[in-house]
Amino acid sequence: MSAVLSGTRGLSAVRVIRYSPWLVHFNTGACNGCDIEVLAAKTPLYDPERFGIKLAPSVRHGDVLLVTGAVTKKAGERLRRLYEQMPHPKFVVAIGACAISGGVFQGSYSVLGGADKVVPVSVYVPGCPPRPEAIIDGVLKLLEMISRGEV
Amino acid sequence: MAALERLKSLGELLTARSSILPGRAVLEFKPDDVRRLFSGLIEALGPDGFFVSTISATDLPGEGKVRLDYFVVLLPEEETLVFRTYLPRDKPVIQSVSDLVPGALPGECEAYDLLGVVFEGNAQLKRGFLAPEDAVKLDEYPLRKDSRV
Amino acid sequence: MGGRKIVEVPVTLEVPVGPQHPALHEPLLLRVYAEGEEIVRVEVNTGYNHRGIEKLCEKNSFHKNVFIIGRVCGICNTVHTDCYVRALEHLLGIEPCRRALFLRVLAMELERIHSHMLANAVLALNVGFENLFMNIMLDRERVMKAKEVLTGSRVMADYIIVGGVRRGLDDDKRDKIAGLLDALAPRLEYYKRVFEEDETVLKRTIDVGKASRLDAVRHSLLGPVARASGVAVDARASERYDAYGELDFNVVVKSEGDVWARAMVRWDEALEAVRIARQVLEKLPSDGNPVPDERKLPRKFPAGEAYTRVEAPRGELTYYVVSDGKGPNPYRVKIRTPSFNNIVNSPFMFVGYSVADLPAILASLDPCISCMERVTVIDVENGARRSMALRELAGGA
Repeated sequence: MSAVLSGTRGLSAVRVIRYSPWLVHFNTGACNGCDIEVLAAKTPLYDPERFGIKLAPSVRHGDVLLVTGAVTKKAGERLRRLYEQMPHPKFVVAIGACAISGGVFQGSYSVLGGADKVVPVSVYVPGCPPRPEAIIDGVLKLLEMISRGEV
Repeated sequence: MAALERLKSLGELLTARSSILPGRAVLEFKPDDVRRLFSGLIEALGPDGFFVSTISATDLPGEGKVRLDYFVVLLPEEETLVFRTYLPRDKPVIQSVSDLVPGALPGECEAYDLLGVVFEGNAQLKRGFLAPEDAVKLDEYPLRKDSRV
Repeated sequence: MGGRKIVEVPVTLEVPVGPQHPALHEPLLLRVYAEGEEIVRVEVNTGYNHRGIEKLCEKNSFHKNVFIIGRVCGICNTVHTDCYVRALEHLLGIEPCRRALFLRVLAMELERIHSHMLANAVLALNVGFENLFMNIMLDRERVMKAKEVLTGSRVMADYIIVGGVRRGLDDDKRDKIAGLLDALAPRLEYYKRVFEEDETVLKRTIDVGKASRLDAVRHSLLGPVARASGVAVDARASERYDAYGELDFNVVVKSEGDVWARAMVRWDEALEAVRIARQVLEKLPSDGNPVPDERKLPRKFPAGEAYTRVEAPRGELTYYVVSDGKGPNPYRVKIRTPSFNNIVNSPFMFVGYSVADLPAILASLDPCISCMERVTVIDVENGARRSMALRELAGGA
């Protein structure tokens, strides 16, 4: 998949994403604990819009994919397809213990155990669930890494 | 228990009585009588006089049986009774009651897909209602004690 | 003109088991068939993500399972652990001290408030009232703070354990929680009034998605959905578990059976929950240390079966635990979440209403916050597929 922006990751990614990252949130079968904190992170007390953070109107407009859940086999397929639908430049943040390693569901026969089994993850935000501040912090760390050309 | 008094008419269908914690009456019936039992409940209590809260299937390979429990809540007291029956493990078949009591539908579908109990007459039974694709392909019922998942 | 269309609503649910339907590509919750704007048929697909929790419980010890069970549902993790732990306490024949029982009630009522505020906020969003959603979520943060003060965590409490709770409550924390409740209560009253008076809300929720009392009972609907249709069931009142036997509260019932009635039941229950929480704080007994020594908990469970019920924010939640007395693991753990009944049996509540009413009806069933998801609308005639936010449907697809 060779997007128009491929090969121009460095400067374009910074310009496009650094000051207005559009987030897409995908739940691969989580207990919803992380999901409600992702939701809370978008509300007035945390005011993510001051960083230019907004919810993308659709996957095809997304810059940053937030993944929650332990990633079951079927959800894994959907996750892969969702990631492929996002145009470059794109990045993934794994939110919560389950998205990092499968959490308490590690070893269950239907669970892949972590988002990076399916898509490349740039930032891992630990917690069960992580606080909204930590989630925003994870996204901001990603933006800093992008600025420094580390991803 | 006041609620049980109203079920006197079902007396002949109930073959044994015991209890589970905390003090919930367990009323055993024969699998063939399941529809008579639920029709009897509707007649004795009215269609809005009870609801099926939970249906639970338990694999008992040591006894060669599958135990099927219908947890029914009587209204208005909101008292829970357990209607219990045993099915042969190699052929766990019983008639569906989901046409009489639509609330039984989810529990029947779940017991079928996860443990292999066949509820005859329930057109919505299907493999994969809950179990993952690989279990379905292997013809495995995940909650059976000898399941290979 | 008015052709046939199919609306696919994706979601994941809090049920403990659940997979992807092999025939579907997406984990769909609902597939809605419409003729023009009228919904004619709804298929509920249990395309959840299977985590194999009941099987997992057979492979772990009774005590370890407490922490797995909490993760069945992050939104209502406290009621899950309470229900499971009480089943274990029945098997062991032990009862915690009254202080612990009161503290459990406090945790569960705070959870009820946050869950109901979330449900009604999402409903507001789904009828196009984003401002109201943001305001409710802002006030909800007070409840999250209170949960954190009590249990140490905003969401995943890991608070209840066999024999009691895992943290004590000192006077400072008690006062802090009381202060948060004092600031919260008038806001709940305010939102209740908004839902009673605001034109936008009323127009989209009154007479929408109705369920009669008879239908509610026959379909085993639970919680606020059942109580909004006149079915007076509440496990707290019938079981009187933990400290509910010593506390005064009302079971909230309405008769209209529509989306509006469900939202109002949730506001009234949130206010009742504040009342209960205040009683707990005022009457908190000092009859012992509510925190058991986890190292001294009994490891051997006698053979037996226990069936416990708890009133989760979404309705009656049940746990059936079987011990064969042979080892440290349970023989069987059966979990039946309220959404399992409410959602799987929901199709009849959509039929006859317009596609634009779909988001509100779905939100009134309080499935989970993922009704924020995007839906796919398929025009059957020309095969065109459109993706839009669920709440956009409310504007007229």
